[in-house]
Amino acid sequence: MIRNPSSSRENFPAPPAGEGQGGGYYDYPVVRRPVWTWEVPTYFWLGGMAAGAYVTASLAQNFGSDEDRRVAAGGFYVAAAALAPCAPLLIADLGRPERFHHMLRVFKPLSPMNLGAWTLAGFTPIAVARAASHAAGIGLLRGPLGALARLVPTRLAELSGCVLGLTLAGYSGVLLAATNIPLWAKSKLLGGLFMASALASGSAAVTLQAAQRGVPDATLHRLAMLESAASIGEMAMLTGYLVQSGKTARPLTSGRFAAPFWLGAVGGGTLFPFLLHQFARRGNGRSRRSLSSVAAMCTIAGALALRWSIFEAGKVSSEDQAASFELSTD
Amino acid sequence: MIDTYKRLMNLEEPPPAKKAKGFFTDTSLCIGCKACEVACKQWNQLPADGFAITGNSYDNTGHLGATTWRHVQFIEQAKANGTRQEQRWLMMSDVCKHCANAACLEACPTGALIRTEFDTVYVQQDICNGCGFCVPACPFGVIDRAPKGGQFEAGTAHKCTLCYDRLKDDMTPACAKSCPTASIQFGDVDELRTRARQRLGELKERGESKARLYGMPEGEEAAEVGPLHAFFLLLDEPKAYNLPEVPRLPRKTMAERYGWSAAVGVGFALIGALVFGRR
Repeated sequence: MIRNPSSSRENFPAPPAGEGQGGGYYDYPVVRRPVWTWEVPTYFWLGGMAAGAYVTASLAQNFGSDEDRRVAAGGFYVAAAALAPCAPLLIADLGRPERFHHMLRVFKPLSPMNLGAWTLAGFTPIAVARAASHAAGIGLLRGPLGALARLVPTRLAELSGCVLGLTLAGYSGVLLAATNIPLWAKSKLLGGLFMASALASGSAAVTLQAAQRGVPDATLHRLAMLESAASIGEMAMLTGYLVQSGKTARPLTSGRFAAPFWLGAVGGGTLFPFLLHQFARRGNGRSRRSLSSVAAMCTIAGALALRWSIFEAGKVSSEDQAASFELSTD
Repeated sequence: MIDTYKRLMNLEEPPPAKKAKGFFTDTSLCIGCKACEVACKQWNQLPADGFAITGNSYDNTGHLGATTWRHVQFIEQAKANGTRQEQRWLMMSDVCKHCANAACLEACPTGALIRTEFDTVYVQQDICNGCGFCVPACPFGVIDRAPKGGQFEAGTAHKCTLCYDRLKDDMTPACAKSCPTASIQFGDVDELRTRARQRLGELKERGESKARLYGMPEGEEAAEVGPLHAFFLLLDEPKAYNLPEVPRLPRKTMAERYGWSAAVGVGFALIGALVFGRR
């Protein structure tokens, strides 16, 4: 018996072939769901923050006043500390963690994953060495280790560390975008967005540690300006990202991830700290330091919310048949 | 020293190139018997995927994956044509396309994914560390990582090997060998393409106006991922078979993406120099 099309639709629990949301095969996804878990966005967040802190500290070392240099050097410690859990997180996410060294088996910068592994392997020792050299310089690190740390060529470590750090901060967004997951791949700006967010959170981390150490207002002002500049860049990138993504961004902008994205990443992590920094300029001394600390903490938390929500919403997006077809005809 | 490094890292000299091998899957001949699925599972010793019933025609396989390297689709089409009902049942045995420019291979950070001497794409199981990057990179949703802690080659990436082990011994891949209607044809890619064009001509003559080839060098679907070494004769638009119209190769837009990222980074460094320098 041939059923007519309208009644056959009622008898099928799922939309019949050709009548899925995207006009494809039932409602089956076109691409596979990413297998990565929480370790990946956490690593992107810490690695980006480490890079931002290192670059901020290096800029202060080379262009700042004596006070700027003294206070911002804490960024080298922040970078070293934030990098420490990065490699373990990346290894934990592997399907076969005992083979982590296969990442460095070949040099293949065409693969963002390979580029990232080499960058992390290069940046981590440089950041640790630069932090150790600063510790030795102010007498925190003594003995033979201190003597060794004093041998570190600081200028070279700062220059090479900045290049590698910026690569580390920028490749993570490009890595997600170099896939066929609609939410990650549709816009060309995810790499720029993650870069801006990494620099905002990194400079915020420098501000935060500076505020705990009785930083002079002039230096705090400069750090806050740098953080705000990165936040403006982040808002610009974010706007461009959402516009370019269009309907594809729905798993991020509505539904389960709307709250962490809008309230966490956008409102609480970018707009609020930006405004708070502007407000803090009116005060001075202790009140200014505490307002700046709160703003910096919000920026840092917002960077995690941004990565986590885009990462998790990407898994939902992978099941979006219509978005996949739209991506393939761009 | 280089030799020691190569031995340590499992870097071997590749074997000499042979003629490119592939599949021509002619969906107009498929009867949906799933012999290919079974033969593939049996030869490659892939575990069963459970007994879920999808309710979508006879397709209870669902999707290609780590332990499913052939997947027969059942597309039931019913439409009103004037006062008559027209019903058509399309079947298609899906498989890894062994792209000329394979997104999975380019994404792979360890070199586990290689191009073999038969011009096919293959995952070296002793190299793959399960980073998972190939999974979202594939525009066809073919390759997948076996769950950590599972029974079957846990934690590494898997897909159709085009029966690399059988090819080494001059044998036909298990799915093509078992296909009772010659819907799956195996051979030299050049020869298969000639055969496919001829077959398309025959079908067009018979009035199959929507028939088309998918994955030929001249097709628009080859614009980014290149010609497919496992290509298809379809009886409807690619979309009907869940195939993207123009499968994307992530590499093509990567420079632009890095460019935006670098622009933000360099801009920040310049602003930083100004902010700290202006005293």
